[in-house]
Amino acid sequence: MRGRSITLLVVAFAAASPLSGCGGPITPGELSRSIETLESTAAEGALLANDVARDRTKATFARVHARDLGDVVQHEAEKLQDAEADQGHVAAAKTNAVDLADRIGMTLGQIQTAPGSETDGRKAEAALTRLSEDAKKLADGL
Amino acid sequence: MKTIFSIALGVIAAIGGFVDIGDLVFNAQAGSSVGTPALWATPVGVVGIMVFAEMSGRIVAVSKKPNFVLVKERYGRTLSTFTLAASLVLTVLTLAAELGGLGFALNYFFDVSVSFFVLVALFAVAAAIYFLPFGGIERLFGYLGLALLVYIAASIKLDPDWGEIGRGFVPETHSAAVYWYFVVGLIAAALMPYEIYFYSSGAVEEGWNPEDMTVNRTNAFVGFGLGGLISVGILVAAAQIFKPAGISPTSLGSVALLTQQPYAELGLILALIGILFAVGGATIDTAFSAAYNLAQHQGWKWGKRFKLLDEPRFTLSLAGFLLAGFAIAETGVDPVELTEYAVIFSIPVLPLTYLPILLVGNDRAVMGAHVNGPLARAMGWFYFVLICLLALAAPVLFIATNGGG
Repeated sequence: MRGRSITLLVVAFAAASPLSGCGGPITPGELSRSIETLESTAAEGALLANDVARDRTKATFARVHARDLGDVVQHEAEKLQDAEADQGHVAAAKTNAVDLADRIGMTLGQIQTAPGSETDGRKAEAALTRLSEDAKKLADGL
Repeated sequence: MKTIFSIALGVIAAIGGFVDIGDLVFNAQAGSSVGTPALWATPVGVVGIMVFAEMSGRIVAVSKKPNFVLVKERYGRTLSTFTLAASLVLTVLTLAAELGGLGFALNYFFDVSVSFFVLVALFAVAAAIYFLPFGGIERLFGYLGLALLVYIAASIKLDPDWGEIGRGFVPETHSAAVYWYFVVGLIAAALMPYEIYFYSSGAVEEGWNPEDMTVNRTNAFVGFGLGGLISVGILVAAAQIFKPAGISPTSLGSVALLTQQPYAELGLILALIGILFAVGGATIDTAFSAAYNLAQHQGWKWGKRFKLLDEPRFTLSLAGFLLAGFAIAETGVDPVELTEYAVIFSIPVLPLTYLPILLVGNDRAVMGAHVNGPLARAMGWFYFVLICLLALAAPVLFIATNGGG
């Protein structure tokens, strides 16, 4: 029983390790998960931007959280950039996803720069909502 | 008023135990991923910890023996050393995650750097441990952590579908592995080993005796009940806000957003204060649990009830575990992922933690008139079997769902 649990633990850690994704071209499933992260992060950014637009948040929190979300997007962009894609439609989707990540990151940067600006908050909310929808369409197309 | 102050041990054990950094995010992820159908898992876990906490408090009141002393007595040297090593690794990893979480929470207020605030958190926690009495620590972190009750208010204000919530408390069969991953994680989150070690050692710190059975029951039922309600509040709020928007929360900031939606800045600040003290409480729980376990295993003098300078081995181990946690936190590892791994991988050692409590609680030679009655015995064995099943299922589900993703 104990031996079996330890074996499972080792396997689980190996499977959960970031390294487990290495060693071959990116699959549509992996790309889809990565794009879903972009979709989720953009949607969360839109929620935060909505609170900035309605002056319902604390500027320090909005700045830090926008930065954290930006880091998530940046990390995904780097992973996607480094990944190889050997199928035509996967490669095209990967390029679109990297572009999407850049735009989401840039928009989150606007919240980070002006967390107290209601006007910028409104613009960021609209842009992030659109980008989240674009990401959803991209993931659904895979 | 006396009753309110007497439940501090249960409150800090519960708040620090299952609304710590990983669980705050895990509950929000469960709400955003599978929604209210996973709700029933929380009361299942909460009743389990109530059963074992009440039993372990009763054992302390009668025999003055905290949980790790029972582990040592019942298992012999090899198995008790294995249990000690496993619990120390998991507890120190969790401690590191909590210190990291404190860094993040403080940074939301002041925006300097997480790394700087992890250092500030280390000093603040060390100062609280050194200068405050045990009861003062419990009250400060336990009661201020109750600011998290704002999640219950938020989940009500968001006007959920009450029929759907009611149905969520009825267990249902489901084919999706991700559903079972969250169900198992929610049950396990309530049963983290360090909670019960902290609770039973805390009962020794407070000098419980057979006259304190009511205090024990109140702590176990009210304290852990409050923790469970907060978990439910977070899950319901996440199901209302994140699920329809397709948001998968990944940080404490995401969890704080949940109260900002209904209550604007006030909700945000209450959530952040609650998070700060709940995660601070978890830091204290884990640091003490690790030091208690080591001291009890080695037979050292231990406890905050004595002067720390009079028990150098216990004090040094407490300081050492805090520093080890600090060193891990300062590597920049994601604290949320760290605790989620700790929750899932603590499950295989859960049976080793809980079996001695059940065996001693059932032993009339030790417990006398306070031996487990038929209900406590039945509930204890039911939960022990459930814990064994969780121990088998958790790693498999973790692999099958890619960590719930």
